[in-house]
Amino acid sequence: MIGVALALAIITALIALVGPEPASLLRHAYLLPVVAAGLRFGLPGGVLGAAAAALLSAPVLLSEIERSGVTSDAAEGLVTLGVLALAGAVSGTLHTRADRHRKRYHTLVAVQRALADDVTLDVALTRLRATLAARLAVDDLALAARDGERLVVAGAERVVPGSVGARVLARGAPAFVGDVGGGVRACRAFVTPLVAGGRAVGVLAVERRGEISFEERAALEALGAHVGLALENARLASRQRQFAAELAEKVAAARRELEELDRAKTAFVAIASHELRTPLTSLQGFSELLAMRRLPPEEVTRLASVMWTEAKRLGRIVSDLLDLSRLERGLAPALCRVPLALEPAIEATADLFRLGAATHAIAIECEPALPAVDADPDAVERVLTNLISNAIKYSPAGSTVRVKAQALAGVVAIEVADSGRGIPAEALERVFEPYYRAPDVAGVAPGTGIGLAVVKALVEAHGGAVRVDSVPALGTRVTFVLPSYAGPVP
Amino acid sequence: MWVLDHPSTARTAGLLADTPAALLAVLAIGAAASVALVEVAVLPPPAIGIAVLTAGHGALLATALAWAHRPPATGALAAGVIGLAAAVSRLNAFGPLAYLAPLLLVSVLARGGRLGALGLAGPVALKGVVAGLFIGMFLGGHLLVTASRTVGVQVHLPTAPEALAALAYDVGANVLAAECFFRGALFNRAQRRWSFAAAVTLATAAYVLRYLVDPLLPMRVELVVGAVFYLALLGAINCWLFWWSESLVPGFLSALIFFAVYRVLDPA
Repeated sequence: MIGVALALAIITALIALVGPEPASLLRHAYLLPVVAAGLRFGLPGGVLGAAAAALLSAPVLLSEIERSGVTSDAAEGLVTLGVLALAGAVSGTLHTRADRHRKRYHTLVAVQRALADDVTLDVALTRLRATLAARLAVDDLALAARDGERLVVAGAERVVPGSVGARVLARGAPAFVGDVGGGVRACRAFVTPLVAGGRAVGVLAVERRGEISFEERAALEALGAHVGLALENARLASRQRQFAAELAEKVAAARRELEELDRAKTAFVAIASHELRTPLTSLQGFSELLAMRRLPPEEVTRLASVMWTEAKRLGRIVSDLLDLSRLERGLAPALCRVPLALEPAIEATADLFRLGAATHAIAIECEPALPAVDADPDAVERVLTNLISNAIKYSPAGSTVRVKAQALAGVVAIEVADSGRGIPAEALERVFEPYYRAPDVAGVAPGTGIGLAVVKALVEAHGGAVRVDSVPALGTRVTFVLPSYAGPVP
Repeated sequence: MWVLDHPSTARTAGLLADTPAALLAVLAIGAAASVALVEVAVLPPPAIGIAVLTAGHGALLATALAWAHRPPATGALAAGVIGLAAAVSRLNAFGPLAYLAPLLLVSVLARGGRLGALGLAGPVALKGVVAGLFIGMFLGGHLLVTASRTVGVQVHLPTAPEALAALAYDVGANVLAAECFFRGALFNRAQRRWSFAAAVTLATAAYVLRYLVDPLLPMRVELVVGAVFYLALLGAINCWLFWWSESLVPGFLSALIFFAVYRVLDPA
């Protein structure tokens, strides 16, 4: 600015020295500082430079007009003033436009860079605010963007309902405030929506102690649309990355589950083979004895009894496997439901255990006038067999297994309780999973890990429910309910 | 940020809100009454000058103070002080020093932080003072050269009492009242409602109009055209100075220097 002023002063002094003529050739030299002012300071610089040149040449020009009227020299001087004004305005306008385009381009690039990383919306807005505040030459700048139901704000505490920002966010149209107060110089504010997908996803608000011209407002509006789109793209990219990460996590979890299932099945095959071979070995051995030797009738009866027990055990395992197979195919167990008196069924099942090597006492406590249940007798027998067998397996010899039945509202609850080792809390919720065996019982007692899964499937196929309560070292109680039979018992 | 954390309400009052209409009416009636009383020879002729000067400058200063939310009594006091100074200034050679009283009153109010709305609060930046002095000297110098070269106006160096009287009048009445009203009040209000260019145009047009109706302005066409040109330039630049420096002082200084130069021209 000082250079321009100095150049104007020197040219004026030279004109005065050479001879103050309105058509002096030196007047053309005014073009240099005027164009320089336009190129350096834009439109205001060009216009002010031309005005200053006109003021400096006015004494010479006006005195000529005053003295001799509009002579050819005066006309030349006037044309020069017009050319100066035009040159200042044109050079200033061109510079202002070019500068505006350059700044807009750099701002857009800066916005893209600020949103390039995978960051949260809060961080993205804070970065964006710092980037824009440095480039827009404003006194204050704030950004607010919707994040679901939440509104993330950078540069202000919050968006107060009823504020200009809230109005712009709701209506999606920009708003200009002539003065927001606070100083001698009017503080202008402009709020423009951040637009994405045709709706306002946030707002960009600027305040400046000075003018915000129409051109600047239009540029800010365009910037708001760009920022909205960039934010939306960043949000989508972030969501995509998050989705990919979640998918990878789920695939890994599924893979781990499959591997665990594979290990469990491998273990099951080994256990099941062992469980199947044990009764088979007994059957093979005892049948061979019966075939090869002559034995007294009492011994034959005893061996036959053992073989019968082992055959029953074998049959039970095979039935469980078949049920499990149906279960894994998503099929309910096949049932043949009839009115069933529970007490005789419980007694019959208990007798099966009492007949063999009776290591445990089995106490049965049935409520008087217990209603019949609507159930498949074979399924009930298998449920009871599984539960009593488990109670015997996991409780010390000589202890008592208690079986209790009582009527509740529309159902009959059957409870099998032992005073055994109990089930650890962490294993309790998994005991009904197929192939699952609590870690502390593996190797302690025989079992395939499918018994309770079959129990659950059978009970639920009746429309009933089953639950396990256990206190480690005190015992376990399994309770299942079956629907009562409402009609007359045949 | 106001636009986000404050509810949006209709905050802008009218451009002429808080105008002390009653006081302005009293000043106008007083001036008219003085003219009438001089006509019937109840008052001596100088009373007209005193009354008109009091009404004109007093009205501008009182309105500016009222727009700056000072109570009506302050505006009345300011107008009264100007009137008193106008009367005292005619008593003897040192009488014009009485014009320092309105400046003193405004200074006291400004020091108390009560004229912040007029741009008279806090210290003034040195660059603002320098810019004001430079612009005043540039415009004054340009006026001097142009007027002497074109319309044949002669430079007349006043005597010390004349210079003192003119300077005191400008300091305490002419420039003080004009800058307080046209820049500190009118432009200040207008720029909050409209664009900077519109506010400058309004304040400058009103400023030029005020001097065109001034009975002290010589009525030769070339002088009126010159006055319009320079006053428009001075008014517009002072608006920018006020906006840029956020103070009334730089514009006050530039106008003071310009009028000081104007006083050395002899239109006759």
